[in-house]
Amino acid sequence: MADKPIEGEKRVFMTGNEVVAWAALAAKAEIMYGYPITPQNEIMHYWTRMAPKFGREFLQTEDELSAGFTTAGGVLAGRKAFTATAGPGNTLMQEPMSMAEAMRLPVVVVVQQRGGPSTATVIYSQQEVTMTTMGGNGEGLRVVYSTATHQELFDYTIKAFNTAWKYRFPTFVLGDGYQAKMRESLTIYDPEARGVTLLPAEAYLGKPGTPGVDRPPAQYRNTYNVEEELYEVLQGYFKDYEKMAPEIAEFDAFDTEDADLVVISHGVVSRAAKGAVKELRAAGYKVGYFRPITLRPLPVKELRALGGRTKQFLVAESANGQLARLLKEAAYGCPVEMLPMYKPGVGITTEEVVARVKEIAG
Amino acid sequence: MEAYIGEYASGKSEVAVNRALQLARLGRRVNLVDLDIVEPCYTLRPIKRKLRDLGIDVLAWETRETMGLGEAGNILRPGNRWALRRPGDVILDIGYGVEGAKTLHLLEGAETDPDLKVLAVINIARPVTGSLPDIIAYVRELGRVDGLINNSHLGDETTVEFVQEGAAVVTAAARELNLPVAATTVLAGLAREIGPQDAVGNPVWPITRYMPETFW
Repeated sequence: MADKPIEGEKRVFMTGNEVVAWAALAAKAEIMYGYPITPQNEIMHYWTRMAPKFGREFLQTEDELSAGFTTAGGVLAGRKAFTATAGPGNTLMQEPMSMAEAMRLPVVVVVQQRGGPSTATVIYSQQEVTMTTMGGNGEGLRVVYSTATHQELFDYTIKAFNTAWKYRFPTFVLGDGYQAKMRESLTIYDPEARGVTLLPAEAYLGKPGTPGVDRPPAQYRNTYNVEEELYEVLQGYFKDYEKMAPEIAEFDAFDTEDADLVVISHGVVSRAAKGAVKELRAAGYKVGYFRPITLRPLPVKELRALGGRTKQFLVAESANGQLARLLKEAAYGCPVEMLPMYKPGVGITTEEVVARVKEIAG
Repeated sequence: MEAYIGEYASGKSEVAVNRALQLARLGRRVNLVDLDIVEPCYTLRPIKRKLRDLGIDVLAWETRETMGLGEAGNILRPGNRWALRRPGDVILDIGYGVEGAKTLHLLEGAETDPDLKVLAVINIARPVTGSLPDIIAYVRELGRVDGLINNSHLGDETTVEFVQEGAAVVTAAARELNLPVAATTVLAGLAREIGPQDAVGNPVWPITRYMPETFW
C-alpha cells in the first residue's frame, strides 16, 4: 500500500471533482459516505478509485439522508468522515446536518451547486447559498467556504477538515458544477510538508476515565424533554460560534479604499468580477472588488467598514439575491446602496459585469 | 478509423477534433463521431456547426432531437451505431474514462473491423496517469488499446519541457505495453518550437484548442 497520496508538491491539471478527492486524501480523510448525483459524481468516482490504495474507505448509501447520517455516525465513531452532494441531495442532507449542528459534529460536506429541484438543471447555479448557510431546522451553526478556483478547492477542502474538528461545527465547501467539471491547473501538495498541522479525529464515546469523576460525561444529546433545555444548550453554542466567527472569517479584496462602487460576488462568479474590476480600474472607474470566502460566518467587520464608506455595492450572483440577503443582514444600517446583478442559474461573464458597472456609472 | 479513448478530461475530444480537421485539410472525407453517452449534452454539440463548416461530417445529437440528456444520457444515436460503415475516415470521440471506453462495443463492426485503431490519450499532468506505473496500470484497465497519444499539457501553463517529459514517460509506458506512440499532440505555437518530431522521435501533431468553446 502506498504511504502518502502526495509526496511533496506537484503541478497538475484536472477537474474540480478530482481535486476534491485528492484534497480529502491529503487531509487524511478516512471514509467517504455518499450517494451519486451530478455534478459531484466524480468526487465519488475518484475517491473510490484511489481510496483502496491508501487504506481509506467508502460506503454508498441508499440516499442522501442516509449519506448525511452515516457521515455523522462516522464522525461520532472518531473517523474523519465526509460526503459530497448537490442540489436535491443537499436538500435531503439538511436533516442530518441539523442533527450535526445540534450535536456539534465535525462533518465535512462538499456541495457542487446545480439549479432548481431534482428535475431541473444538473450543472450550474449559485442557488444553494441560502440552504447551505442557513438550511435545516436549526440556527445555521455551520461554516461555509465558497471556492473560486481549483487551487482553492484543494486548499479549502483540506482546511474544512481542520475547521470542523477544531470548532466542532459542520463545515461545507461550496463549489458548483462549473468548478466541478472545469479543467484547470493547480499545485497539489502534502499539507504536512508545508507545515500545516492536520488535526486528528477523536472518538466521541468511550474516552478513558470515569465519567463525572475524571472527565465530564459524554452526553451528546439531540433529544430534549422541555424547550428550556434546548434553549440553554443553544446559548452555549451561540457563544462558541460568535467567538469562532472572527477567527475563521475570510475574504479577498482589492481597490476598495477609494472606490465609489464595490462589486461583491462569491465563488466562481468572483473570477468574472475580478477581471471586470481590473479592466474598469484601468479605464479610470473608481471600482473595488470584495469577495467573502466564508459565506457563513461572513467577514462582518470588514463588510460593515466597507458599507460605511462606499456609495454602492453591486452584488453579482447566479441566484436571485441569495448572497445579497446575507450581505444585507451583515451591513444592516450602513448607508451603502445595494444594487442587484442577479442571474439565477446561469453564469456571469467579465464583459457583463463591466457593462453593468458602466451602465450604473452612466 | 481511429477511436480516441482515455481518462476523463485527458483531452480525447480535443485530440479527436484536431485529428479530424488534420485529415479534412488533406482533402479526405472525414466523419467525427461523438460517442460520449454519459455527458452527451456537453461535448461536441456546441461546435458541431463550426466543424461542419470546416468540412467534417459530425455525428452527434442535436439538442432538439433529445430530452433529458443533461446527465447520464444513455441513448446511442442510431447513426453512430453504424459509423464504422460510413465512407471516408471515421474518428470516434469516446468520452468518460474506462467505463466510457466500453461504449465502443456498441458499434457495429467494432470487434472485427481491420482498419480500426484504438488510441489512448494520456496527459501526465493528470495524477491518475502521472507516472510510468500509473500509465501502464491505467491503459491495461481500458481493454483494447492499439496505440498511445502523448497529450501531456498543463493548460495555459504548458511548456516545451513539459511536453517532452510527457513524451519520454508515455513512450516508456508504450514500450512496456508493446504499443506504438501514434503522436505527441501539442498547441501549434509550442509545436513550432519542437519541430516535426518530439525528443523521442514520435510525430508531433500541432493542435488548436476548440473545446473551450464547448460547454467544458
